Amino acid sequence: MTVLLGFLVLFAKLAVVLGVLLFLAAYLVWVERRFLGRLQVRLGPNRVGLFGLLQPLADAIKLITKEDTVPAEADRFIFLLAPAVVAVTALLMFAVVPFGPDITLGGHAIPMVISDINIGLLFVFALSSLGIYGVALGGWASNSKFSLLGGIRGAAQMISYELALGLSLVPIVMLARSFSLVDIVNAQSRIPFIVAQPVSFVIFLLSAMAESKRIPFDLPEAENELGAGFHTEYSGMRFGLFFIGEYVHMQVLGALIAVFFLGGWHGPFLPPAVWLLIKIILVALVMIWVRGTLPRLRYDQLMALGWKVLVPAALVNILVTGVLLV
Amino acid sequence: MPSAIEAIEALATGFATTFKHLFRRPITEPYPEYKRPLPERSRARIVLTRDPDGQERCVACYLCSAVCPVSCISMQSVEREDGRRYAAWFRINFARCIYCGLCEEACPTAAIQLTPDFEHCERDILKMVAEKDDLLVDHCGKDTAYNFYKYAGVSTDVGDKGTHVKEDKPVNVKSNMP
Amino acid sequence: MPNLIIDDLPIEVEPGTKVIEAAERLGIIIPRFCFHPALGSVGACRVCAVKFLQGPFEGVQMSCMIDALDGMVISTTDAQAVDFRRHVIEWLMLNHPHDCPVCDEGGHCLLQDMTVAGGHCIRRYKGSKRTHHDQYLGPLLQHEMNRCIQCYRCSRYYQGFAGYKDLGVMRSAAQVYFGRQDDGVLQNPFSGNLADICPTGVYTDKPSRFKGRRWDFERTPSICINCSLGCNVTVSARHREVVRQEARFNDKINGHFICDRGRYGFAYVNAADRPRRAMVGGRPADIDDVLLEARSRLARTMAEFGPQSVAAVGPLRGSLETQAALAQLSEAAGWHSPAFYVDPKAAEIAAMATARLEDKFTVSLRGIEGADVILAVGSDPVNEAPMLALAMRQAVRRGGHAAVIDSRSPTLPFEHEYLPVAVFELDVAVGRLVNFLCEDVDTQQLPAHAAAFVDECRKLPDGRFDVYLQAIARRLLAARQPVVVCGSDIVEPATVALCADVVLLLHHMGIDGKLFYTLKSANAFGAARLGSPAANVASVLRSVERGTVKALVVVEKDLHSEFPDHERLKQALAQLDLLVVIHYLDISLASRADYFLPATTIYETGGLYLNQEGRLQTAPAAVAGGRPIQQTGGGAHPPRQYNRGIPGDTPQEAWRLLLQLCGEQPAREPLLHRLEDTFATPGALTGASPVPPEGMRVGHAVNGVAPFHHDWQAALARHEQLSRDGQMLLVTVAQTFGTEPLSCRSPWLEALTPPATVRMALETATQLQLAAGDQVVLDIKPQPLTLPVVIEIGMAANVLALPRVAPHRMARRHFLLTRNRIKKVDAP
Repeated sequence: MTVLLGFLVLFAKLAVVLGVLLFLAAYLVWVERRFLGRLQVRLGPNRVGLFGLLQPLADAIKLITKEDTVPAEADRFIFLLAPAVVAVTALLMFAVVPFGPDITLGGHAIPMVISDINIGLLFVFALSSLGIYGVALGGWASNSKFSLLGGIRGAAQMISYELALGLSLVPIVMLARSFSLVDIVNAQSRIPFIVAQPVSFVIFLLSAMAESKRIPFDLPEAENELGAGFHTEYSGMRFGLFFIGEYVHMQVLGALIAVFFLGGWHGPFLPPAVWLLIKIILVALVMIWVRGTLPRLRYDQLMALGWKVLVPAALVNILVTGVLLV
Repeated sequence: MPSAIEAIEALATGFATTFKHLFRRPITEPYPEYKRPLPERSRARIVLTRDPDGQERCVACYLCSAVCPVSCISMQSVEREDGRRYAAWFRINFARCIYCGLCEEACPTAAIQLTPDFEHCERDILKMVAEKDDLLVDHCGKDTAYNFYKYAGVSTDVGDKGTHVKEDKPVNVKSNMP
Repeated sequence: MPNLIIDDLPIEVEPGTKVIEAAERLGIIIPRFCFHPALGSVGACRVCAVKFLQGPFEGVQMSCMIDALDGMVISTTDAQAVDFRRHVIEWLMLNHPHDCPVCDEGGHCLLQDMTVAGGHCIRRYKGSKRTHHDQYLGPLLQHEMNRCIQCYRCSRYYQGFAGYKDLGVMRSAAQVYFGRQDDGVLQNPFSGNLADICPTGVYTDKPSRFKGRRWDFERTPSICINCSLGCNVTVSARHREVVRQEARFNDKINGHFICDRGRYGFAYVNAADRPRRAMVGGRPADIDDVLLEARSRLARTMAEFGPQSVAAVGPLRGSLETQAALAQLSEAAGWHSPAFYVDPKAAEIAAMATARLEDKFTVSLRGIEGADVILAVGSDPVNEAPMLALAMRQAVRRGGHAAVIDSRSPTLPFEHEYLPVAVFELDVAVGRLVNFLCEDVDTQQLPAHAAAFVDECRKLPDGRFDVYLQAIARRLLAARQPVVVCGSDIVEPATVALCADVVLLLHHMGIDGKLFYTLKSANAFGAARLGSPAANVASVLRSVERGTVKALVVVEKDLHSEFPDHERLKQALAQLDLLVVIHYLDISLASRADYFLPATTIYETGGLYLNQEGRLQTAPAAVAGGRPIQQTGGGAHPPRQYNRGIPGDTPQEAWRLLLQLCGEQPAREPLLHRLEDTFATPGALTGASPVPPEGMRVGHAVNGVAPFHHDWQAALARHEQLSRDGQMLLVTVAQTFGTEPLSCRSPWLEALTPPATVRMALETATQLQLAAGDQVVLDIKPQPLTLPVVIEIGMAANVLALPRVAPHRMARRHFLLTRNRIKKVDAP
């Protein structure tokens, strides 16, 4: 009976999280386009529905009804699989993000996280690394020179920044003394880690933007050089999956930043989940602001930033944190 | 180190600029609700104008079709009984037209002119192919005075030899007078 | 050889070369309006000014007026010369109208090019423009005198080069006028060249008036097939329609010009009634089905009655490929050998002419211009092969002497001596000429058969023209390069052979005589070699009537217009089991044929052609097949539907259809090999090197025709037939316009076609008690003709000339008529 109930609760949580994630992903697109428009003194989409609020729906209908083409020379199986890899890994990462303290329902404590595993942080990194496969395989399977270049760029870029991303979180783990995301959030119940670890925060933010392939780090899909890069050959809903993957990724990274540096669901007056949502959206807005301001980096600049600045800075940061903690 | 400060300054300026833009009024003009009055010389739909006396101006000289970079103009010239040269048919494929205005520039009779009217999209691409009847308008367009045949020196209904602008009476070749 | 430097480039040229030509050879085109290589220099336009820096001349001079000399250093780009030219253009433009948009010359106008190139664009002159009235010059040319820049090219060409007098210069100074005394049709059958040589739009092509601009035309080099000379033309096509033809320079044939028949004789390609679909029994059908069905029917006939039950009739003016395909298929299948000629005599003449034309006798059309004595026998150049007349005129202009022995009193645009000799008397006249040629020759020194021939000629009786013939003989003997021109239209085969004998005799006497035959039509040369003289349409029809021929394949032959006895033709065709017709024009035969297959013209697929000299030329395709857009659109907007196919593109080359009809691969290569065998020129057609632009002679003489072999008994009998029996000889003669069947389809030339008449000398008319304008009935087969009488001064006595123009284009050449068969019709 308890097991059955546990499953029921789990499914309920899954459904809610998935629904909220996909809904948010869709509306993040709308937010991005409107916000970006305003940054560029434009209006942005305002035709479908009030303030263009139905634009995501229209986009979805368009993508679903479009012809799903596979290039004749493409590796069909991998080509069809790649977008799913991207979307699935991005969604799975949310499994370990806590969105509130445990609540008690009918005598049972229900954790406000899908799965509180004690190596949550490593799980996040593992999935984030798997996500690269989607990009690299999609680019390779298309059998098109632009896609291949995009895929290779994506793989190289993500491997480079994965390192800085991981290293930047070592001080956080050292401070929280746990890999579990729930523990990390709980460790920030008084002050968020951004105050203690500003350098880590900056490194993580930059690496996270690079991970999600956003301007100024969108080299794998550089429109003007590669014509959409790894997803040049994709159309219809398969392209849509890449798209969803990217925006879910953006939310996951927003959530991770909130969890690691902004105190997670901690906050006064409002319910914890709402706080988390606000923090995610704030991070997303900052990312959009960056996109509206900065141009794309050159490839060598990207590599130099990753290897020559972020990795050493993260290492020094670990050293300093270690020394201070001891 | 100064370069790092400069870089940060530059970044900050950039972020500040975009941030300020957030609060500016967007320059977007919502098109179908608000139609901006276009300048007279803006280049869109092409028309064939008429002389001040109401005759077709186009003499089907093929210059517009020759100069058209996308070859969207075709025609066939013929002669009217009174000596006027005109287009038996004249076709512009607006689906191909890039509205560059070179045809208007090449036209020696001010017949072909671009107008500011740009709203002529069609779902059927063949409807974008305009024939002479679709192109002819009953006004002079931008040049309200020019009548090619008053200057050309060929005999038409506008005038016989020697009756055009700045022309002497025809020479009597059988006279012995110097 | 003068050595000079033009724009820092050294060049060596022949003495007498003008500076403008020397520069052209370096690739420097000096502007010019009045200078033309065929017309020479007059220095009228002043636009070819260049600066002479060193040498015998100094300063700005006209480059067309000064011979290139040793030591000259010339600059064409010197500021002073450029400025001079700019001013000249500005002066020339003072009176030029503002009508380029409505002028057909726009786009290929020399004046327009030079004005733009010279940089003149703003009119500074404040005065008014001088104007002129235009004239009506006939259906071929449009006159617009305001555009004239007084280069005198037209009058120099018209009066000087072509030798006609009805167009020239009037008035002086700024009022110079080029035109006729009064409006009227130009008398010059070469007038179309005015449109080519006028550097601006004074004379523009009327049939193609307002049809399009030069830049829109697909322009292709081609060959004229309206007579046997094979002049070169440039075909302009637009919207699947041949719009215009212009002369194309060929140094060996036509030079810079062509005649109006060639220039305007293309209308048949665009004809709306051209059959463009295959037909079975007059009903349209799919061409592949028709081919398949016709093929099996043909095979069945052959299986049932033997291969000799099939006969083929082929074209004279078809491509060599078509003729070769016919010859090859007939041979392979064992059919009757293909009949190209309608009249057995004509076939015999062509065979004789092509066989006797030895390599050392041949002279190109252009070569005639260098002749110092020309003897034309039985030839009327203006009507039979027009450009020959212009070539002969050039020879006369250079001091040559021309003598014409003919019955028709040909109108020729040059001074010539004319002997009115009736057709049947030509042989004897030439025999007498041989007699005078060999007056002082010891026959012992000649080869035996030549000596025998001369002896026979010496035995001929005296004639009326002996004095003149003696004079001609003296001229021939004194000549450096004499040319004997021989027509093939009205003469007897013996006359053709005699002309070759005369030239051979001249060679034996050490004189480099040349021989120039004109043949019946383009590619008549090929037909003569690929067919046998025994096979002709008349004999084929006899076989059909006898019932030995059951199936007839007619290729590009218009039997109805060439075979006058329509009743007999109809009955003969009705006797056939199978009639297959391959043609490109709508002929009444097409609907009567069991199977009709549409063929293409030279314009659509090109082909190989041999001219009368045996010169091989190749014509590429000039226009994609299919009905002209003008027709599919009904003259209005072209249709708006999108189709992958071209309407009316079923026609194929006749040879391709023929090969398919016989179940063979439609490949061109074997036909070319066959042609190489026929003309004994291995590798000439299939080799790597293409046919050179001026063509190449492949039609070498054939051994087996004995020279100096003549039946004088028959000749004398023919001679006496006229005088003794008091009979009249009715000769059907060609006309420049109206005889050649393809050019007859041009509506513009129809207007120039003379009305059907019967012509005779005054003396003949008196004998017959006729006067000019009388209507006369000629009782001839197949049906009697009623025609008005025209008195032609200078025609031979006892000869009536009947122009082969509509409504009757006789195939038969001669009719002997007793007087009672020529009856005057009394006025009602």
